[in-house]
Formats: sequence, C-alpha cells, structure tokens
Amino acid sequence: MSVAWQFYISTVLIYLGVDVIACWGLNLQFGVAGLVNFAYIIFQAAGAYTAAVLTLGPATRGGFQQYIGGAHLPFPVPILVAGVVGGLLAAVVGGLAIRRLRSDYEAMVMLVVSLIATSVATNQSGLVNGSNGLALVPKPLAAMVNLSPIGYQWLFVGITAVICLCVYWLVHIVTSSPLGRTLRAVRDNEQAAAALGKNVAALRMLAFVLGGVLAGISGAILVEFISAWSPGSWLYPETFVYFTAVIVGGSGNNLGVMVGALLVPVAFLEATRFVPQFGPPGLIDALQWIIVGVLALVFLWFWPRGVIPERRRRFPRPAEGEADGAPRRVPLFLRAGR
Amino acid sequence: MNTLLPAIGFGLVTASILAVAGVGFTLQFGVTNILNLAYGDIMTAAAFVAYLVTSAGVSVWLALVAGAAFGGVFSVVLNRALYTPFVRHGTRLFGMIIVTISVSLIVQNGLQAIFGASFFSLNMPRPAPIHVAGMVFTTVQFAIIGIAVAAMLLVHLLLRYTKLGKAMRATASDPELARNCGIATDRVIDLAWALSGTLCGLAGVILVMNVTAFTDTTGSQFLIPVVAVAVLGGIGQPYGAMLGALIIGIASEVAAAVISPDYKNVVAFVILVIVLLARPQGILSEIATRKEVAA
Repeated sequence: MSVAWQFYISTVLIYLGVDVIACWGLNLQFGVAGLVNFAYIIFQAAGAYTAAVLTLGPATRGGFQQYIGGAHLPFPVPILVAGVVGGLLAAVVGGLAIRRLRSDYEAMVMLVVSLIATSVATNQSGLVNGSNGLALVPKPLAAMVNLSPIGYQWLFVGITAVICLCVYWLVHIVTSSPLGRTLRAVRDNEQAAAALGKNVAALRMLAFVLGGVLAGISGAILVEFISAWSPGSWLYPETFVYFTAVIVGGSGNNLGVMVGALLVPVAFLEATRFVPQFGPPGLIDALQWIIVGVLALVFLWFWPRGVIPERRRRFPRPAEGEADGAPRRVPLFLRAGR
Repeated sequence: MNTLLPAIGFGLVTASILAVAGVGFTLQFGVTNILNLAYGDIMTAAAFVAYLVTSAGVSVWLALVAGAAFGGVFSVVLNRALYTPFVRHGTRLFGMIIVTISVSLIVQNGLQAIFGASFFSLNMPRPAPIHVAGMVFTTVQFAIIGIAVAAMLLVHLLLRYTKLGKAMRATASDPELARNCGIATDRVIDLAWALSGTLCGLAGVILVMNVTAFTDTTGSQFLIPVVAVAVLGGIGQPYGAMLGALIIGIASEVAAAVISPDYKNVVAFVILVIVLLARPQGILSEIATRKEVAA
C-alpha cells in the first residue's frame, strides 16, 4: 500500500474513532436518557481546548497565542483532564438548563447556549485566543517514540482504538446495567419512573454528565491529532451531524450508533473531503450539508429507529398464580410486550 | 447621551424588522406548534428573490411584494409537502426540530450552491439621511419603520375583526376544541402558514434593505433574535411579539453601542434563555406550554 493511501486510511480511522466516541456520548444523553442537547459540540470543544492547553505548556506573555492555564502534562493526562472538564461543564450547563421543558424548547435552549459559547469564545480574545484559536499543539509521544510520520499515524490509530474500546466498555456497562434500564424508563415515562421512586433529576443529570465526559475525551483526541483548535470549527451544525449519525445508526443502540458514526460524519463529511474539487469554492461543502439534511429527513421518514434499532426489551411475565398464591389476572391492555 | 439616542434610533429600525419577523413566527408557531427553525432561511430565500427582481431593474417596492409572495407560497408548500406529512407520520416535538433544521440546512446551502458564497446587495436608490429628534435615519430606514407599522396594523385588523382571525386565535389556544366547534382547522393552518410566510418574506427583504451586503446566512443569523421575540412575547401572541420586538430591538442596539457591537446578538440570546427557563409561556401568555404538535 502506498504511503499516501496509508495516510488517508489512518486519518479516516482516527476521525472515525473520534466520531464514534462522540456519538456514544450523545447517545447516552439523547438515545438512552432522552435529553436533547443541541450544544453537544461545545462540550467536545471544551475538552479539545483543555487538552490543547495542557499539552502546549504555559502561555508566554506576548506570545502569538493567548490562553489560560497552560501546562506540559505527559500524554494520557490531558485527555483524561479533558474528559473531566467536559463532565464539569455538562454539570454546570445541565444544572442550569435541564428542566422539565418541552423537548423542542430544550433543544432551543441548548442551541442558544451553543451560539452564546461561540460568540464569547470568538470575541473574548484573552480566553481562547479569539477566533484564531490555538495552533502547534505538540503531538502526544512524538518526542519519545522515534517513528516515521506514517508509523506515527498508525501509532495514533492504535491509541484511538484503545480509547474507543475503553469507552465502549463503559457505555456498554452503563446501558446494559440496571442504571441503563432506569435511564430508559425515565426517557419513556418520566412520571412512572418517578412514581417508582427513581430520582429523575439526578438520573438525567448523570447521563448528561457522562455524555459530557465522552464529548470532552473525543475532542481531546481530535485536537491531539490535528494539533490545532479554533472556535469556528465547533459550530452548532456540527451537533446536527452527530444527531443525524445517532438517528441514522439507531438511537439507543451502541452498535447502531457506531454504524451511524461510520456513515454520516465519516462517509459523508470526512471521506468526501478527498474527492476531486469541482465547481466554485464552497460548492462541495454546500452539497455535503444538503446531503446530511436530506439523509436526516429520509431516515426520520422511513427508518426513524435507525439502521440497527434499539432492541425492544421483553421481560418474562411471572407465571400465573406464582406471585402471591392467587392467580393474577392482568388486564390485556396492561400486559408487557404489547 | 450622544451615543444613546442614535442607538435607540437604530433600535427602532431593528425592532421594526424583528416585529414583522416575530409576529409571523409566533402566529405560525402558535397555531401549529411546529418550531420552524427554517424560518430564517426562508427570509434569506425571499431576500434573494428580491435581489433577482431588483437586479432585473424593477423597483424595490415590487421586489418587496415579490419577496413577501415568495415567502407565503414557499411556507404553505413546505408545510403541505413536508411538515404536515411528517406530523401525520408520527414525528413529534424533537423529531420536528430535526426536520426543520434539515430544511434550514438544505435551503441555506441550496442558496449557497446556486448563488455562490459571496456578498450581495439590493439594487436600489441611494438613501438620504433624515434627522428626527437627535436620531438619524435614512429614507430606507424610515420606509422600513413605515412598512412594519402598516404590517402590524393589518395583522391587528385581521386578527381582531375578521372571522379568520377569530378562527386562528381559537385554533392557537385549543385546536381540538376549535375543530369540534366547526372550524376548518386544516384551512386555518394553511392560512396561518401563508400569513406567517408572507410576513417572513417581507421581513427578509426589509432586513437586507437595511444592510449594505447580505449572504446566504444573513437570515439564519437573524433567527435566534426572532425566536427570542416570539418566546418573550409568548408563543402565539402577536401583540406580545410586537412588544418583545421593541424590547429586544432597542436592548440589542443599545448594548451594541454601549458595550461592543460583538455582543449585539448575545443580548437576544440571553433574554431567550432566561425567558425559556424562567417563564417559557412568555410575558403575555396564559396558554399551556406542554401542548403537542397540532396534526
């Protein structure tokens, strides 16, 4: 395989890893807990920013980029801290914004949160270096391992894959445990879950924070790979791409969401960056967005549950008369699995 | 004082545009309960229609009519061809958000694909300045305020004194009860989209009359202030939207003059978030906010 092809494939694989982790995080929030977070991208951006400044080292006075809290931390630490920051930010935003709002109002609030964040990040140059963002973030381990550029690409693919596996293990545990079942109960019928003594507010918050952590981690991997960060690349339409991916793949199903991440952000957005340019500049970008929009519409119409739908969970009914001696006659309309 | 008065003048112009757009938005949202996030992009599309008309050498007044007509027709078709089928198909609140954002992206990028990512301006006579009580307006801005006042008066007369207006208000407050009372809610919904779309198109054209240049994102950048106006006034409350437009229009221009022009929109954002979290029914509304989409 030629070096160019290896570069291409390894780059797409890394993007895939980033998008899969981000989609799993969004799936925890939206697919499993039913929270409509249209500001998802800012948690990814916050994680990415954290990882960037923790790798860049302290900001020098009068240097060409200004940022806060710079440090030189060894490789896995910036990514972990990025997850923590994503989670903390989610706790703050969630504490303010997750109310018992209609889901379209909730989406609206989150959309506006995303716009405010972009506006502040762009206009307050002391905070995140304004719209210029950060550049020249050192690549992790690059100074320690002595690899050819292409060897380093594959090393990075390996790192991303390992993080993906860890994250999958985490989301699998969450979604298949009693906790995941309770979260789905809250999503499907909030009142019923509350009536069974579940703390609905705390459960939704937990899902929101976990999603924020994963968003932060995915952003951190991305920034360590492309070594640059700017507010302009984390706008709200990017959140829409992740939502489309989750819906296309199968909201609520971790494997489905992985397929969605492969199809939407990777196949339609990343891979098409490499097709030959045609038409005036900007035409391909415009067409990509049109395709993503059409894709969302088509899936909502034909397959609203996605390529790999969430498994309908069935629980065995207790056998007749088994419970308290007396035969239990459950009215037909109350029986499970209907 | 010397920066405040002109800022209030600008605020009045912005408020006029916001009022036209906000009343259109709130009428449609109130009647159908679909949060149409493509509204800003329909404004842009109407502006491009006006651009084509003025580029052909026709007067800007006809362009205004063309833009408004386009907005009305496009909205009705959009609702009939896409939104209503999705609602009948069982798509609900969140799903409809995804549908309207998709439409928004498709319209916006469609315009970019057709016209190119560039700056455009309407071909119209050079405006002359007019001084009124320490505020400076151009003739165009004066015309914008006049158009907005006229449009608001017409909406007021329509809602207050016609049967259609009554039917629309009835459908907004309780679609099922309205249907049971013999109101043809389907027709009312169509007319609501037509009226809302017309105001949307009108707002799109006066929005770009007021700026030196516009792009394919001009309307969508204006969307959040419009939604803020509608939510602040209370969804489905045209008079609330007019009041909201005045508040947000003047507040954002004053903030632009006093703090920094960068924060012009942030005022509207912050007002929107606070209202949604603290009083989602708006300042003038008693309608419940947990309604479902009207099918």
